[in-house]
Amino acid sequence: MPVPKIRKKRMGFVIDMTPLVDITFLLLVFLMFTTKFKSEAEADQQFTIARPFASADTAKLPEKDLALINIDIDDKNPTDTAYYFGWTNTSDRDTIRDTYPDLPEELRKTLQVEMLVRVDTIMLSHLIKATKAVNRNAIFAIDADKDVNFKYINTVINIMNKNNQRVFNYVTQKRTSE
Amino acid sequence: MAGGGALGRPESVKKGKKTNRKKKKRLGFHVDMTPLVDITFLLLMFFLFTTTMLKPQVMEMRIPPEIYAQVEVKASELLTICLLEDGRTYWYVGTIDIEKDPTNTNRPQLIKIDSIKYLAFEQNLKPNVKNRMITLFKIDEKAKYDLMVSVLDQLNIAEMSIIEELSKETEVNEQGQSVPVQRKRKFTISVLNEDDKKQLTNTGVEGVSKDVIQ
Repeated sequence: MPVPKIRKKRMGFVIDMTPLVDITFLLLVFLMFTTKFKSEAEADQQFTIARPFASADTAKLPEKDLALINIDIDDKNPTDTAYYFGWTNTSDRDTIRDTYPDLPEELRKTLQVEMLVRVDTIMLSHLIKATKAVNRNAIFAIDADKDVNFKYINTVINIMNKNNQRVFNYVTQKRTSE
Repeated sequence: MAGGGALGRPESVKKGKKTNRKKKKRLGFHVDMTPLVDITFLLLMFFLFTTTMLKPQVMEMRIPPEIYAQVEVKASELLTICLLEDGRTYWYVGTIDIEKDPTNTNRPQLIKIDSIKYLAFEQNLKPNVKNRMITLFKIDEKAKYDLMVSVLDQLNIAEMSIIEELSKETEVNEQGQSVPVQRKRKFTISVLNEDDKKQLTNTGVEGVSKDVIQ
């Protein structure tokens, strides 16, 4: 006598998750490999810079041997423009901090922890000279807010020119729509 | 019906156990993937939200070294682009100093920043000054950095076309071989000083500087 098949009442249902997991893993691996975390100098930056747009002849911002000169409008005092100097190589900063003679004590202390320091024009000149001496391959980049007046950019250009640094970069944002 | 089903369940399980006494030979095994998928999703979400795809770019610039000796330059080989405080750009070739030379009919011309690429292309490839044109970019101290980069960007865009255009021609090098013409870019950047402002105002440019109007 054939036993009548008793249909089990299904309470839930099962979805095959394999394709979903496949895609998720693929994305995860992609993002993990393409992610580049901020350099310490960038992480120390307390302000946001709205970069100017450019479309031609641009290369990626280098991650090594970079000396950044930030020019930013002070948040608290809009008429004041501040210069910041930073490095991507920790060793460059350490060598300058420990060996460069013309550094004020206060700045030396700040450089124990910070990768980006606020400087005046005289200090900027010293740091450019020091960076050039410490790291011959240093690349200089001006990272300025797009609303900054040319006057401040010109000051930095002149300081660099005086220190025989005649090749430098402007940090820009790639123009997406043409 | 639903209640009956629930009640009947243990029975059917028992029954199933009884009938399936013969153990099936297992060929694979199941792993509970749920925690793995949980973590994967969590990580995925983290990376998705923290990643910014647009990385900052750099635009390289070379400035000529400071020279103290005066260099004679032919007026016809000098292209000047002036960026004013309010963002207007003017250009002229040669000089516009009408105080020094009242017969000078050269006038600065207004140009949109987006059109500078065409201007640079055209001027740099003019037959008589081809590849010898010097570009001088003068910027008012109060002009925005944003606009300055836009102008530089335009000049860089033009540069690509100029190089392409020049490489179609050939020149004879020192060894007597004919090689494609090498582009010699001559570019310098400076501040639009009071003298330049005066010259612009004299040649009919209005509102060069706010101080002049007052």
